Amino acid sequence: MSINVLVVDDSRVMRAMILKSLDLAGLPIDQTYQATNGQEGLEVLKQHGIDLVIVDVNMPIMNGEEMLDAMIKTPGLQDIPVLVISTESSVTRTSRLREKGAAFIHKPFKPETIRDTVQHIMEGK
Amino acid sequence: MNQQINRILGQITEDILEKLAFIFSSPEEEIDSIDKASSITGRVSFTGPFTGVLEMSISESALPELAGNMLGIDEDETTVELQQDALKELINVVCGNLLPAIAGKEIIFNVDAPQIVSSDDSATSERDVESEVKLELEEGQCDILLFLDGDIPSGLAGAE
Repeated sequence: MSINVLVVDDSRVMRAMILKSLDLAGLPIDQTYQATNGQEGLEVLKQHGIDLVIVDVNMPIMNGEEMLDAMIKTPGLQDIPVLVISTESSVTRTSRLREKGAAFIHKPFKPETIRDTVQHIMEGK
Repeated sequence: MNQQINRILGQITEDILEKLAFIFSSPEEEIDSIDKASSITGRVSFTGPFTGVLEMSISESALPELAGNMLGIDEDETTVELQQDALKELINVVCGNLLPAIAGKEIIFNVDAPQIVSSDDSATSERDVESEVKLELEEGQCDILLFLDGDIPSGLAGAE
């Protein structure tokens, strides 16, 4: 089954790197969507059927954790798996994200780490 | 300058250049500082238990390969804007990895969005350099400087 992925990051270089990694990983990706902050990301989620959200933490307007909080409160969005990819290293913050149900990958990452993590997330869905 | 932070900053920058941009570098203490007229500088500010600025300057000649490798496209296809975005992402990741290496992983920092600064920018000229690392690249040079407002509080992991 192919999946639709939304990548939310204010850096277009990082969005491109993540999309490239997904491509190289050989994952069954159907459509990919991009947003530059959490607010834009929520709009995309309302308009399209998304199976996986990959999101950064530090972004302007609405950060990744605020987007995750909004998804948890919104019927229809709360069950969409979220993978956070960030430079964030604070155990306090990363633990909080994991408690909210998100998987976490630290930057810099290897493409195979994204592949393995996405496979793990989608198998557990 | 703080030699221990120099060592941490050098290792992290080398590692991230390799992992993120597939660019190999080697520390060179004896070379001159990078020529600002032929390089691009990115800057990121942070606040937390200590506050400061991290600046990274890379030779213009190295930027097409750096951006091309990060984006997975031919270096001839990169634009100045893409090269600057690549530098901003690079310094963002270096800063995100440097601060916990200095202060420990329990500490929370707020990191601002990275910016490109002009060659005549003097915002850091009056500040003391806490750490400076010069790396030689195949196609140029990369200098990275850490400026702090005040001292690093004693007792933080990695700072001692």
